[in-house]
Amino acid sequence: MTIAPERLGGADLDRTAQAAAAETAAERERQRQRRRRGRRSPQRRRAAIAALLFLLPALVTFGYFAWWPILQSTVLAFQQTNLVDPAEWVGLRNFEVLFADPLLPKAALNTLWFTVLSLAIGLPVPLLCAVLLSELRRGGTLARVLAYLPVVIPPVVAVLLWKVFYSPGETGVVNSLLALVGIGPLPWLQSPELAMPSLVIVATWSGAGTAILIYLAALAGVSTELYEAAELDGASVWQRVRYVTLPQLRGVILVLLLLQIIGAIQVFTEPYVMTDGGPANATVTILLMIYRYAFLFGDYGVATALSVLLAVVLIIVSAIYLRLTRSWSSR
Amino acid sequence: MHRRTRSALAALVVLPLLAGTVACTSGSSDAPTEAGDEPVTITIMGKPAATNTAAVELFERQVAEFEEANPNITIEASDVPWDAKTFATRLAGGNAPTLLRVPLTEPPALIERGQVADISDVAAELESFDDLNPRVMQFLERDGAVYGIPEKSYAFGLVYNRDLFEQAGLDPDSPPETWDEVREYAAQIAETTGKTGFGEITTNNSGGWHLTGYDYTHGGRIIEQDASGNWTAAFNDDDAREVLELWKAMRWEDDSLGDNVLGKQEDLVAEFTAGNVGMWVSAPPDVYPNYIAAGGDPDAFGAGPMPQGGADSTLAGATVLMVNAQATEAEKEAAVKWIDWRALRPNYDLEVAAETAEASAADGLPVGVPVAPIFSDEAYAAYRDAIDEFVNVPVDNFAPYVASLGAFEYVPEPEVASQEIYAALDPLVQAVLTDPNADIDALLADAESRVNAILAQHAS
Repeated sequence: MTIAPERLGGADLDRTAQAAAAETAAERERQRQRRRRGRRSPQRRRAAIAALLFLLPALVTFGYFAWWPILQSTVLAFQQTNLVDPAEWVGLRNFEVLFADPLLPKAALNTLWFTVLSLAIGLPVPLLCAVLLSELRRGGTLARVLAYLPVVIPPVVAVLLWKVFYSPGETGVVNSLLALVGIGPLPWLQSPELAMPSLVIVATWSGAGTAILIYLAALAGVSTELYEAAELDGASVWQRVRYVTLPQLRGVILVLLLLQIIGAIQVFTEPYVMTDGGPANATVTILLMIYRYAFLFGDYGVATALSVLLAVVLIIVSAIYLRLTRSWSSR
Repeated sequence: MHRRTRSALAALVVLPLLAGTVACTSGSSDAPTEAGDEPVTITIMGKPAATNTAAVELFERQVAEFEEANPNITIEASDVPWDAKTFATRLAGGNAPTLLRVPLTEPPALIERGQVADISDVAAELESFDDLNPRVMQFLERDGAVYGIPEKSYAFGLVYNRDLFEQAGLDPDSPPETWDEVREYAAQIAETTGKTGFGEITTNNSGGWHLTGYDYTHGGRIIEQDASGNWTAAFNDDDAREVLELWKAMRWEDDSLGDNVLGKQEDLVAEFTAGNVGMWVSAPPDVYPNYIAAGGDPDAFGAGPMPQGGADSTLAGATVLMVNAQATEAEKEAAVKWIDWRALRPNYDLEVAAETAEASAADGLPVGVPVAPIFSDEAYAAYRDAIDEFVNVPVDNFAPYVASLGAFEYVPEPEVASQEIYAALDPLVQAVLTDPNADIDALLADAESRVNAILAQHAS
């Protein structure tokens, strides 16, 4: 496969001589590479075909189960169907129904509120836990297992457990604990104000384990020399976290933050199982609305229209996010 | 994302399928098949759960006898219960059961969406069809067409715990009959026993469902139709206001509704079975089997009349057998024959009634739960006589409820968009029960405009 550079250079000698004045060494190198590529092209083409063949199962699977349905759902957003008779084209009717629904702004605000709360709690808590866990000299494995345990519990079971914990009145689990420090009893899910923060606590509890593990893995990759150097310079614990740990983790933090935003905007299990959007619409989210439109009211067109809208919003949010953080992440 | 993919998948499956279905149905309506000859296979819901071995045996024996009597019909039975979430996608995929067994609240929406078949022709051929109770059939007929046959019917009543009544110094044989009495009794139970005096549910459309039922007892209606056929909200009036005021007073003045009002029917059944709730409103004959299955004490179960606000009315409905809209004429006919065999015959054929009761009693299933009859009162009396020796339910505990059944007007659920309307009413009920400062007039006005928007959308 290797072609001796001297021989190549030799074959081209007279031509290079004609243009010698204009050509730099870099230009010659580029030409040489271009020629090499030209000679290899049949092999490369074969390799590309082989790669495509290897990719084919994945392409077909993704195509059939992801991209084609996405395309179809975009179409369905402009149709009405009872899934028995042929679907009818209704133009923008589904979107009109959606924007006329007084619940939509409420659900959008609720979803935003959930996202803000779950970032305010869900971003620092796992990071803090991971930093503390990485500092543990003994019992680290046990602590890691304990931190990850909530993730292993099936979501609906976990959420139902929390529903019991949140039981209002003095006998509820959370309320009896709070009573020890003289707080409560609080109504938790029964109160329009407290219901959403209650859901965020559950979501953080059940999702933190995964984030902690990822942070821990990233922390393990931070060179100890950096900490040693910082220590020698007399940096405090906080300064070490601020000037060594956080900058070293920024790539991971950025990705996890984006995933958390996308996940939080799609919150469904907690309000569906715990509150059904109540009390008085305090926890109705966009996904809960989609669910109701499709499976409660049987209006698949409107449900799909709302899904498409949500997808568009998520794409825009992601794009803005990536743009805003580009400078920071590539620093 | 997941949901979107799901609905998209449904769409994906439905499009190619539709072409076939359309071709099929147009073909079969041109040339209706001759009855009784061609072999036909139907899939049916309603097989008892596998754990209930005796009931499964009885069911399978009925299937075998039915297939012997109708050699051209093959039955494939499923014990998967009704699930609104999967039904539509199964319908789209062409593998929804031919015969659907749906609960209480579903028929109006299924009829409205055209997902169930008009079975008028085949139903009319049934020997017993004309004897079906018109008070029950009104829920299953729309514009002169029949869409279902009742397996059993229900009417709202008061479910109460006789033990808690005694502990509170109340007479368990005379449950409250008016809302004023309910309030009084509930306060007394809460005060003397520390339990919830009157249980209430508000999520998954149950708040709207209950508000509707309570509103009927004051003579109110949730929606009404004007002369030109348009539906509008009709609940922003004193009838609904009285219901909401009562809730507010019981929750915040008497503290007799308990702390937990954000639940659905299943939650309340569990709390009631555990002996934590004095009274609540539901369909007593429907609740009783669940109560027993969860380990409830038969003697503590009491069923009273629906408490009244002056109208002598109660919300009624039925557990219904319906046929999938995609069924062919032959499948429809076979399904209706099976409905007669399994669901109707044990009510009018006294020999079958006794045999079914005996088998159920042998398995420890409740036998003889008093219900709102699906045939005439005389037919029901004859049926009760036939099963008398196998009855294992404390029938006397149901006496106040049974006495009320003949006295009240049965009012159906809202005829259009019932689920959407209930969903719009849930937050109204929740607001009153979770916020002591809730402004009932403002909430009613808000809910009224929402329901009117839903109705306008349905009309368009």
